[in-house]
Amino acid sequence: MSGWGSGSQTSLREANRASILDAVARYGGLTQVELAAATGLSAATVSTIVKELAGSGLVEVHPTSRSGRRAQLVTVARRIGIGAGVHIGHRQLRVVLGDFSSEVIAEQVLPLPRDHLIDTTLDRAALLIVDMLDRVGSSVDELTGIGIGVPAPVDRATGRISVPGVLRGWDDESIDQVMTDRLNTPAWVDNDANLAALAESTRGAGRDHPDFLFLRASYGIGSGVVIAGRLHRGYAGTAGEIGHIQVDPRGAICRCGSRGCLDTVVGEEALLRPLRAGYGTLGLRDVVSRAGTGDPGCSRVVADAGETIGAVLAGVCQTLNPQVIVAGGELSEAGEIFLDPMRRSLRRGVLANVVAPIDIVPATLGTRAEVVGAFAMVLDHTDVTHRGGNQR
Amino acid sequence: MTQSPLPEVGEDAPEVPILDLRGIVKHFGPVEALVEASLIVNAGEVVAIVGDNAAGKSTLAKIVAGVLQPDAGEIRIAGEAVTIPNPATAQKLGVATVFQDLALAENLDVTANLFLGRERVLPGQFLLADGEMEQTARRVLRDLGAFIPSVRTPVGQLSAGQRQAVAIARTLIGEPRVVVLDEPTASLSVAQTAEVLLHIERLRALGLGVIFISHNLNDVRAVADRVEVLRHGRNNGSYPGGTVTNEELIAAITGAVRKGPHLSAYRRDRK
Repeated sequence: MSGWGSGSQTSLREANRASILDAVARYGGLTQVELAAATGLSAATVSTIVKELAGSGLVEVHPTSRSGRRAQLVTVARRIGIGAGVHIGHRQLRVVLGDFSSEVIAEQVLPLPRDHLIDTTLDRAALLIVDMLDRVGSSVDELTGIGIGVPAPVDRATGRISVPGVLRGWDDESIDQVMTDRLNTPAWVDNDANLAALAESTRGAGRDHPDFLFLRASYGIGSGVVIAGRLHRGYAGTAGEIGHIQVDPRGAICRCGSRGCLDTVVGEEALLRPLRAGYGTLGLRDVVSRAGTGDPGCSRVVADAGETIGAVLAGVCQTLNPQVIVAGGELSEAGEIFLDPMRRSLRRGVLANVVAPIDIVPATLGTRAEVVGAFAMVLDHTDVTHRGGNQR
Repeated sequence: MTQSPLPEVGEDAPEVPILDLRGIVKHFGPVEALVEASLIVNAGEVVAIVGDNAAGKSTLAKIVAGVLQPDAGEIRIAGEAVTIPNPATAQKLGVATVFQDLALAENLDVTANLFLGRERVLPGQFLLADGEMEQTARRVLRDLGAFIPSVRTPVGQLSAGQRQAVAIARTLIGEPRVVVLDEPTASLSVAQTAEVLLHIERLRALGLGVIFISHNLNDVRAVADRVEVLRHGRNNGSYPGGTVTNEELIAAITGAVRKGPHLSAYRRDRK
């Protein structure tokens, strides 16, 4: 509200324009009546300013109805079409819609049960996309593509999980094909750590680093490898699956069938087990938030996990020699409680070079990196199709 | 949390449940709605109640809300034995309930609905404290992460999901300790369901006990810390929400698996 001081007519109008744009962006889409209520401006002022904003291409007005009456829905203007990014996590589904200026225009999180099934979850993802399109005054016709991230290695040629058993209940179907059939829109699927690495490399903490590793420390551990500015997926899409590096030769059997994988030591189940006696039922996010507020038991669990992961990262870094590790996933939300022990155990295990010590930095996009990467994948693919069309 | 005489193991190890129902019996003539049903809810815990139609889920909610009186049984709130003769008492005791029909006044705006029946008055006057109520309404909706553009919108103009949010927000006005939600996701779209589930997570983060009654096992398993199964008015198993499977719950709901009173595992305070 910088306009209040000067009090001139122009600055007042500027302030009103800003507050209307702000409200439209925050809610995705509002009718003019709702806009008046949300901003406290008169209906006439809202109408005038919306007309101006629509004229200069900043917002769009769509006819709609509210409780049976005709109304004007005001949304942020979009370029060409809408892409959807979907991140299917172990315990939540996150969907974003964005336009081709790569602005996110709507976002929604849906909590999911443990071991959710492919049919139910993809069905809910599809319906959620339709609901969200409706919220921003659009429809499936405008949807140009869907990018999907899953917490498991993916064979991108078939759209299937490439290692059976890692994501229970998701093995037997082509994930992108199911979504394509559901919404009649092209869909692409990739590993979520890979997508997060892509997002961080183009618009996050990896932007200035051609060689970096994205660590996704969540319900399980994964990573995305960026070499010379390009994502390295590996032959079968399993590059960076550091959750399945053995750390305890006599440890528990992992979902993948091996013994003593990193996931069996610092995965969700392993982190919660020692807390159960004293704390009762806690979820992974509870542990992270309690560690953040200084709870000693939860802090200890998170710090020990950091140390164990750091030792594994040391081995990976010895092979790849990245400049930096970008840490994402829920555990990284704990901040230095997690990162500091990880950094120390990492540095103990890598060859010291004279150029610069390897560092670990938090992901700029936080736990949204995966879904932003999934959305970015749609933009990339759509560009390719456009170019292909021109060549023909 | 107040001073406790017991040594601290974890933050909330020596815990007195906020709500403790024991041996609740309710008959409607020949119908046995509840038979020795028990339920414990701790602070910051989401307890889901699942069961077939007529398993007694809503009856239990109505007893907690003071709408129905149990024929027998004991209700304790924060360790104190209480009776809940009417909804006003329930509210005073810190129990807030959202029923399936939401009970909102369509013609009134969001603020008026939140404060319906307990409007705040300016000190020493008969005038309503509109400004104060609006501020509180905005704060409560923000605490809940609700998606409602204006607190002055008449509720009749809101979507089904937004109404649900208003109904849940209304429970927060009286500074409750337990919030009871009876089928809050029934007949909502996926996006609206997502909002309600996030509201439940917010209530839990605010340290409230939440009773979440639902038919949808996916929704229940997504947010519940513990799932209590009712069958023919009796407890038929108690499961950790984070690890229970749909198969286990269905077996308990349909009676393929039968269990006796199963609450002893949750009485951590009195072994």
